[in-house]
Amino acid sequence: MPLELHDDTATLVGVVTVDEVEQLVGWLRAARKPKVSLRRCNHLHTGALQALLLFKPKISAAPNNAFLAAQVLPLLDSSQRNRR
Amino acid sequence: MTTVMLVEDSATMLMSLQSILTKAGYDVETAGHGQEALDKLGKGVKPNLIISDVNMPQMDGITFTREARKAPGMRFTPILMLTTESDQAKRTEAKNAGATGWLVKPVGPDQLLGVIKQVLPEI
Amino acid sequence: MNPLLAQFLAEANDLLASVDAGLLQLERDPGDPELVNQVFRAAHTFKGSSGLFDFPELTRLTHAAEDLLEAVRGGRLPLDSAMADDLLATFDLIRGWLAHVTTHERLPSGAGTDAAGLITRLRAPLGGEPRAAVQASSTGGITTIGGAPDWLAWFDAEWLTATASWLDITSSTMRFVRYVPEADCFFRAEDPIHLVRQVPALDRLGIVQPATWPEPGEYDEYVCLLSFVIATRAAIGELEHLFRYVPEQVQIVELDAGAITRHVSGEPPLKAEERVTVVVAEVRDSEQAADARAVLHAARRTFELHPVEGAHLRSVARAVSAAARALGVPKDLTDADQPRVREAVDFLLAEATPAPLGAAPAATAVPITPAEPAEPAEPAEPAEAAEAEPSGRADEHGGQVGTRVLKVDQEKVDRLMELVGELNVAKNGLTFLADAAEEEFGSRVLSRRIKDQYAGLHRIAEELQSGVMDIRMLPISVAFGRFPRLVRDLSRRLGKTVELHTEGDDTMADKDVIEALVDPLVHLVRNSLDHGIETAEQRQAAGKNPAARLTLAAVADGDAVLVEVSDDGRGVDPERVRRTAYEKGLISEDQRESLSDSEAIDLVFRPGFSTAEEISDLSGRGVGMDAVRASVEKLGGTVTMRSKLGQGASTRLRLPLSMAVTQVMVVSVAGQRFGIPVDLVVETVRVPAAEMGRVLHQDVVVLRGDVVPVLDLARLLEMPSRDEGADRAILVVTVNGQRAGLIVEQFHREVDVILKPMEGLLAYADEFSGTALLGDGLVLLVLNMKEVLGLAARTA
Repeated sequence: MPLELHDDTATLVGVVTVDEVEQLVGWLRAARKPKVSLRRCNHLHTGALQALLLFKPKISAAPNNAFLAAQVLPLLDSSQRNRR
Repeated sequence: MTTVMLVEDSATMLMSLQSILTKAGYDVETAGHGQEALDKLGKGVKPNLIISDVNMPQMDGITFTREARKAPGMRFTPILMLTTESDQAKRTEAKNAGATGWLVKPVGPDQLLGVIKQVLPEI
Repeated sequence: MNPLLAQFLAEANDLLASVDAGLLQLERDPGDPELVNQVFRAAHTFKGSSGLFDFPELTRLTHAAEDLLEAVRGGRLPLDSAMADDLLATFDLIRGWLAHVTTHERLPSGAGTDAAGLITRLRAPLGGEPRAAVQASSTGGITTIGGAPDWLAWFDAEWLTATASWLDITSSTMRFVRYVPEADCFFRAEDPIHLVRQVPALDRLGIVQPATWPEPGEYDEYVCLLSFVIATRAAIGELEHLFRYVPEQVQIVELDAGAITRHVSGEPPLKAEERVTVVVAEVRDSEQAADARAVLHAARRTFELHPVEGAHLRSVARAVSAAARALGVPKDLTDADQPRVREAVDFLLAEATPAPLGAAPAATAVPITPAEPAEPAEPAEPAEAAEAEPSGRADEHGGQVGTRVLKVDQEKVDRLMELVGELNVAKNGLTFLADAAEEEFGSRVLSRRIKDQYAGLHRIAEELQSGVMDIRMLPISVAFGRFPRLVRDLSRRLGKTVELHTEGDDTMADKDVIEALVDPLVHLVRNSLDHGIETAEQRQAAGKNPAARLTLAAVADGDAVLVEVSDDGRGVDPERVRRTAYEKGLISEDQRESLSDSEAIDLVFRPGFSTAEEISDLSGRGVGMDAVRASVEKLGGTVTMRSKLGQGASTRLRLPLSMAVTQVMVVSVAGQRFGIPVDLVVETVRVPAAEMGRVLHQDVVVLRGDVVPVLDLARLLEMPSRDEGADRAILVVTVNGQRAGLIVEQFHREVDVILKPMEGLLAYADEFSGTALLGDGLVLLVLNMKEVLGLAARTA
């Protein structure tokens, strides 16, 4: 299962497809202090990335995947830091 | 396991595509025309990818694409059209109906597997 | 028979039957659209399936029939009986062919001619042959524009500038893509990021976020709001293929250095509010900003303490400029005076870098921090990295999992290295003390004990030195890393096919050596691509593999690293080299006769030599092989070339593993001491004066059967020479493969020194390569043996 959702923490695993986007957004809306682990995530559908960029959850673990680490993580990290 | 649904009225084309996909490790569902494919989707078959011919008896590929998008769980499933070089206009029509892309016949293994890799994230 | 063909033949039978029936009915009832459709589909299926086999005539014939039926189906042509006749004849012919295929598994030999007449007749109502299929498969609507578009501004100017200069060096271009997915693209199962991940040879990616995000309550997760800017080295064709399903969402531009430079200088910088909407992925951005702030605070403190001027001011200005660049607010402070630099510091601290809440200012902001695990470090050229990053991270290695890695300021490592050098010097002082103990105070025991102490200290100093040097070591892959691209770009430009191989990528050498190695290697590789490697046609004509092989190899050899650039190209023609060198007056007629092939090849390193009859615009930019030799020798290395005519050439660079410490042999001449690099020393001998010989006005000595020319070092250095004494102390050296003996007054010990370049009054003196401080406080002049012996050749 690509999404492992708990109250305030989520783990994204493997390929997160568009089919998971709705559930992910629902969780992001509901969680008070969302924290997301990307360690085992290999791919984020554009819709999933977009949701993370909008809701800015804390990224609790960086992805092992090279593309995500190099190109995607910095966006999520810096949006984290821009928050006041 | 990744399931590919082939919708094609030509038995030869079907056999050729099926053998490429099976050898590459995909599960294959087949349908001889659009209506048969829709019936299968209605019965709970949930392919990860659909490859459909354009010209078929009973229901053509474009109508099928438009209908398939309404089937449960098929909103975001990649659908590729099997076209010929002369089908330029059909491609636009197919995209408007919700198709993801197209393949140009005759379809060889490299072309087929390459396109699947392009549209299905399975990294 | 293969099952697919059997299947095709079975299906064909059914299709033919249905076509026949349909066509006959159509003749009677030409208006029935379902009948037309049925025949059309049969022809269409036939054509589609025939393409699976090697039956080109069948494909062309059914294609023509399909096109005609398509026109009929679309109502553009009414079906007349002549058309029906042609169609029936077509399917009759096909039936005949398939019978042949059933027995022979191929079409009959006359198929092409039989088909040709029918194809012409089928196409006649449509106005003849269709346009070439190429057109159909071409761009498909992707916009390709010429000049630099506005959206190039999403890339940061610094990167664009660096890219432009690279493109300029290689005279190549880069492709830029702007990809704006349609809002509803998810509903066609498009995943823009997945597509972007597949861009070949991706150089830089910017994920552009919307200027304003919707409120979370109104957010529709299935509307795509992101867009992309991409820089890649992939060919336009590759990109058009990748984006072929979304052509209307994509713009591609191909830009050269000029176009980018014009963009960078001409366009106003991005406004602040636009800047925040794009984050061009740069992993270290915020860390860099923290470093930059620390540099600025330090600069401000420096200014508060005392006036800063001269070289110190220049270095502060450089650091501030680098910090400004890192913060994305470039400031040119070249030759700025103190108030201006100070003003820039205040501006940057106040305006450009609101420190994050709670961040400690200044000194504590740049502690040694544990490195983040292996970021995909760009294979940055160390020189540039050191310059661009204020606190210098050129030594950055990717950390292994489980190891704690420290990021250390490069300057700290350099300082450590200097201290090691001073320790060496102090250690060397002990040997002088030991000598003094014995000679001046007559205490042999004390001398012995000092020497024991020295030995212990020497061992520790050596270990310390190698430990510090290890920190400075980088794998040679740092230097090799830029060549795949250079070779690819240049070989494309030259129309040659070249495979680049690298060997010994993990060979380690000092970072200074690696940095200094890049330029000579670039020159050698260019030279090889330009002059050495032939075109694919020439290679084929010579019976070679059309793809040339270019190899970069590195291997450690004791205290040196050997780096070899070799190709399997046409090699160097020694005869042509001799002729050219003679014509250019570099060698005499005698030499032209007497030089061996390998000596002749070495002539290419002479200043003023260039074998290329026409200077190519790649490697002929005013630097020759002589520049390569000069820069390698400046590092204390050597260059040699070997070649086999028609089979290739290889150039070997031999460089010291580290440039930090040089071992020199100390000799004295006319009462003064000089250093000679130990690498060059073959042996030291004492020869009775009587055994010295003289051949052709040249003093010689015979050593183990070899005649070695002997020169008086004192005379070479224009110092008084003392010929008295029974023995001659002769130091035998090898320079450029030639042995020579130098008469000196006395041999001393070998010492490790830190060589400092010549400064001040002596800077013009080419016969010295540098100075070093000895343990007893004296300054040692280290001889540049090549120049010294060159002097000898000129004066002789």
